[in-house]
Amino acid sequence: MTEAISTTGLTKFYGEHRGVIDVDLGIREGEVFGLLGPNGSGKTTCIRLFLDLIHPTSGSATILGLNSQADSVRIRQEVGYLPGDFVTYEKLTGRDLLEYFANLRGHGMAHAESLAERFDLDLTRKIGELSRGNRQKVGLVQAFMSDPRLLILDEPTSALDPLLQQEFHRMVLEETAAGKTLFISSHMLSEVEIICDRVGIIREGSLAAIEEIATLRERVLTRVEIEFSDPVSAADFHGLDGVTDVVVSDHRLTCSVTGTVDSLIKAAARHTVIRMESAQPGLEEVFLAFYSDDADKEGPGAA
Amino acid sequence: MLRNVYLKSLRDSRKSILFYSIGTMALGLYVTLFYPTIRDATGFTDFLEDLPEVFQALIGDAETYTTAEGFLNAEVFSFMGPLIVSVFAIIAGTAAIAGEEESHTLDQLLANPISRTSVLLQKAGALLTGLLALSVALGIGLVAGSKIAGFDLSITGTAQAIASLYVLGATMGLLALSIGAATGRKGLAGGVTAGVGVVGFLLDTFLSVVEVLEPARFISVFYYFNNNDVMLNGINAAHMLALVGLTGVAVATAVWRFDRRDVSV
Repeated sequence: MTEAISTTGLTKFYGEHRGVIDVDLGIREGEVFGLLGPNGSGKTTCIRLFLDLIHPTSGSATILGLNSQADSVRIRQEVGYLPGDFVTYEKLTGRDLLEYFANLRGHGMAHAESLAERFDLDLTRKIGELSRGNRQKVGLVQAFMSDPRLLILDEPTSALDPLLQQEFHRMVLEETAAGKTLFISSHMLSEVEIICDRVGIIREGSLAAIEEIATLRERVLTRVEIEFSDPVSAADFHGLDGVTDVVVSDHRLTCSVTGTVDSLIKAAARHTVIRMESAQPGLEEVFLAFYSDDADKEGPGAA
Repeated sequence: MLRNVYLKSLRDSRKSILFYSIGTMALGLYVTLFYPTIRDATGFTDFLEDLPEVFQALIGDAETYTTAEGFLNAEVFSFMGPLIVSVFAIIAGTAAIAGEEESHTLDQLLANPISRTSVLLQKAGALLTGLLALSVALGIGLVAGSKIAGFDLSITGTAQAIASLYVLGATMGLLALSIGAATGRKGLAGGVTAGVGVVGFLLDTFLSVVEVLEPARFISVFYYFNNNDVMLNGINAAHMLALVGLTGVAVATAVWRFDRRDVSV
């Protein structure tokens, strides 16, 4: 099976400034891949290198089996792209813009019209008059309308309300069912974990790790707080599988859990539980999981 | 008008093309309608002949005002015509690529399956088409005005002078487009090109009477545009080729550079 995206030592410096350093990435066709990292970590740089909008300082990228620089026009024929900040011709109406890009891509408007309808998007209004969310819809429509083999989406749901995010997730599922590949960047784990099969974690321009979502969940620390009806003893919770940082004060327990919460739940069940809260791990926690001593032993960048 | 980059660019500048064309046509009409008044004003040519050489360089010598061609050469093709055409060309040239880049639309355009060279050449084509509209409008203004005012105008002289003006406009516009494409900087493209025009004009007009600066006029675009008074003496092929050559080098360099540089978000 050919790889949809494959990079070797991909490096980009903007003069003195770091873009990305030595990125080795292999994304299978048909996969939904998430690139996760904080702002300024190099996500957008990667994407712009794939589309040949910027050129690598060293290393190379192969997109759908084609060289990102030599065959960039053929690549872009097969790629739908949504930039992080979708800015386009403000004086054009949505329909005019989609028609222009459809002409440049050599296809009709039928799919664009049906996508716009699906997003409940008014194509007669000028793009400059649209709200940020509606403009993002135009961006999504133009990315999906050519029915591309590969979709590269930079923070696609950032401006969408929850309902539209769900609609977007459904579209992603349909695309994968049709065998398409998606490359999605985000700075929120919660966004990528719903839709992605694998996640690459990028930090200060370097790829720190590539993990299956399931594996990632196992390694990520979840903060758990349990309130019991009676005071409990910390000893009951020490030495449980994946449970650390146990602190008991009176009838309240806080701890960190990696992987499954099963052993904690079973231990807690011996007491009467009033309330249980677990915090969705943020990006900080994901990084902590990967930069703790444990992660270092296995080596960052281990795929 | 949204079929390709060329037509889209024309669509973007359709209002500008319309207004500037009205401007050049109005200039053609105004000057031709005004000419008989000057021609019939007795004593004016005597006055001119008594002027020092430097003032004649500035406002024209006696011949300028006694023939229609001489008058149009001075009033249309020495200052106002080049000014209007150059302003249009520089604005269109800077907007073409650097303008799109600075308004953040170039990124999305280039994400489509189209080569940068094609984008550059189609935008250059749109600029040349716009200039053609201005030139035709000027021609219509001049010919119609001469008919209304009732004097004969050399059609070949007029056509050649307009052609020369067109080449000047193309040079200025494509120079601005090229600098913008090569650097992505609109201000730089407009500033440098306007500088080339203004310095060229000064060198060829006012400073041509300063002996020390005489050799410097060869670096002036205005020297190649109209130093030999195209309206009166016909087009100078070598001069036109010099402008076309300069433009060709600028565009070729821009194509090379634009293809290799990073496009900003």
